[in-house]
Amino acid sequence: MICIFIVNSMKTNQNAFFFILAAVALVFLFLINLGLGSVSIPVDTILSGLFTGEWEKSSHREIILNYRFPKSLVAVMAGIALSLSGLQMQTFFRNPLAGPYVLGISSGGGFGVAILLLAGSFLGFSGIVISSWATAIAGILGAVSVLALVSLVAWRVRDSMTLLIVGIMFGAAVSAIISVLAFFSEAEALKLYTIWSMGSLGGLGWNQVGLLGLLLAIGAFPLLLATRSFNALLLGETYAESMGINPVRLRWLVIISTGILAGSITAFCGPIAFVGIAVPHLARLVWKSADHRILFPGSALLGAGLLLLCDTIGQLPGSAQTLPINAVTSLVGAPVVIALVLKRNFSKEF
Amino acid sequence: MDQVLTGKNLSLGYEKGQDRKVILSDLNFQLYSGQLTCLLGPNGVGKSTLVKAILGRIRPFEGEIKLLEKSPVDYPREKLSKKLSVVLSEPIIPAQMTVEQLVGLGRTPYLKWSGTLSELDRKYVNEALVATKMDFLRKERLGELSDGQRQKAMIARALAQDGKVIILDEPTSHLDLVNRHEIMFLLQEIAKSQDKAILVVTHDLDIAIETAHQLWLMNCGSPLIAGLPEDLILNAQINELLPKDRFFFDPKRGKVNLRSDDSGWQIQGSEDLVFWLEKALKKRKSSFWTDERIQVLDNPFRIQVGERIYHSIADFFEESPSSLR
Repeated sequence: MICIFIVNSMKTNQNAFFFILAAVALVFLFLINLGLGSVSIPVDTILSGLFTGEWEKSSHREIILNYRFPKSLVAVMAGIALSLSGLQMQTFFRNPLAGPYVLGISSGGGFGVAILLLAGSFLGFSGIVISSWATAIAGILGAVSVLALVSLVAWRVRDSMTLLIVGIMFGAAVSAIISVLAFFSEAEALKLYTIWSMGSLGGLGWNQVGLLGLLLAIGAFPLLLATRSFNALLLGETYAESMGINPVRLRWLVIISTGILAGSITAFCGPIAFVGIAVPHLARLVWKSADHRILFPGSALLGAGLLLLCDTIGQLPGSAQTLPINAVTSLVGAPVVIALVLKRNFSKEF
Repeated sequence: MDQVLTGKNLSLGYEKGQDRKVILSDLNFQLYSGQLTCLLGPNGVGKSTLVKAILGRIRPFEGEIKLLEKSPVDYPREKLSKKLSVVLSEPIIPAQMTVEQLVGLGRTPYLKWSGTLSELDRKYVNEALVATKMDFLRKERLGELSDGQRQKAMIARALAQDGKVIILDEPTSHLDLVNRHEIMFLLQEIAKSQDKAILVVTHDLDIAIETAHQLWLMNCGSPLIAGLPEDLILNAQINELLPKDRFFFDPKRGKVNLRSDDSGWQIQGSEDLVFWLEKALKKRKSSFWTDERIQVLDNPFRIQVGERIYHSIADFFEESPSSLR
């Protein structure tokens, strides 16, 4: 279905060329990401191992199948999910600075995790027994509850700009509560929380990767169905309405879709900054289009690629240490975007 | 000439809880297909409220609006968008979009989820581009067009939406004089050639008189006046638009003029010359007085006051003796 979708939207060969280029780059990045790490594994070993099921060394099999492959998949999925939420937020709020977290989702997720990690000692469970499932569930609960509050407001206001401000204010308020919790918590718990907030793509088992994939599909599907509405929304809410688009329905779609996409990524990987805001702009620059038939698949491809690249760099090839993904995305992404922005008139492109 | 949109004893306003704030009452109007109708009225008289009601965004308190067979509020949103399209004054421009893509957006109500245009949709887009004379710019990006061209592209988009009625809310308010004329003449042409009913909310009385087939005049506290612009001028109803104590519409010149007391100047000469000299004098009226006879003559232009001769109005003001100031 997505294939038909992409092919349909290829008006010019140039668009097609960039799609193929991005897809090929994505595959390469994926393989490199699998190969590099504390132990370098040659790409041909990985390929033959994956396709034949026979591995020269059982340690390679273990590393690839149970550690690196799920992590690379998570990088791809997180890149897709965050870019798609960022793009729909930017179009919906007609604001180039909007991103997946403007409705307070990351603060909400952080709030859930903070309650678990920071207030845990008060409530009687210590940091040692906390599994990645527990953090994920706490993150989801936190994100969902803040989103529910924002939705309550969304119910009452007509204006999308008011919704944007309310979302940001909720985020700020929730962050303040986290600060208060952090102030009163012990050093150990605080460190756990700080590490979570730096984001991490690894450490998830296949079960969690499967769940994440399912959530990604559920969150992205409605976007596909609403491509027409997003295109109409480029002209503003009044025009969209005059062209038969129901803005209220679209608003709920946006809230639910970003809630699922950004919420699940935040819960499993922590709040990953930057990708969601930057990638849609990169897609606009690459494809020189405002059409969501191109921008949705384009942002997904670029987002997945960018996060794989950042993760590969964060591995510090040859070393056992990994940098937190949040630091890498911003370190790598910020100069790239600044360079692009200065080269072309960015604000005019939006 | 079919009546496409009618209003009967319409009363409009906004509701807040139990309170009803009536803004317009007893409105009666007919919009005809094949005609360009201009809606004129001072700021705050309720033009936007009327437009909102026509777009089905507010429900009338009393009376009814009928768009073809039923009231706009009773249409499902998607059906309504196939009957009625809009152009607004504020331009929201996705700079990356080409003219063709923008016009293609007009086909939104007819498209499936992915927004891909069919052959038929492309045909409508083409026709809209040709009708607005924008087909030579079809591949151009909106960020690279002038404001006038962009507004034309928006009109093409509204046309591609293929409704019977097109409503334009001050479409020319940020355009220069030439573009204002051009857009309004274009709308007049489209109304005739495409058999659309076009309603333009505007403040340009001059251009409206020049181009509209029908005028709707709105003023606070009086019912909506509809009629041919020329009729409204000849029967002086056009003055309803103006605060009567200070302005009047001069039917001879087709212009709004400031009312002033009889000047007492004795100016002789051909009508045109006297008109412009009086205009200049009126701007300085309190400081200017003479009992002498003033004569304006043509070929070459000169002003004669008694023995003195001036070769331009500026000279006249400059050199005339203090008794004249």
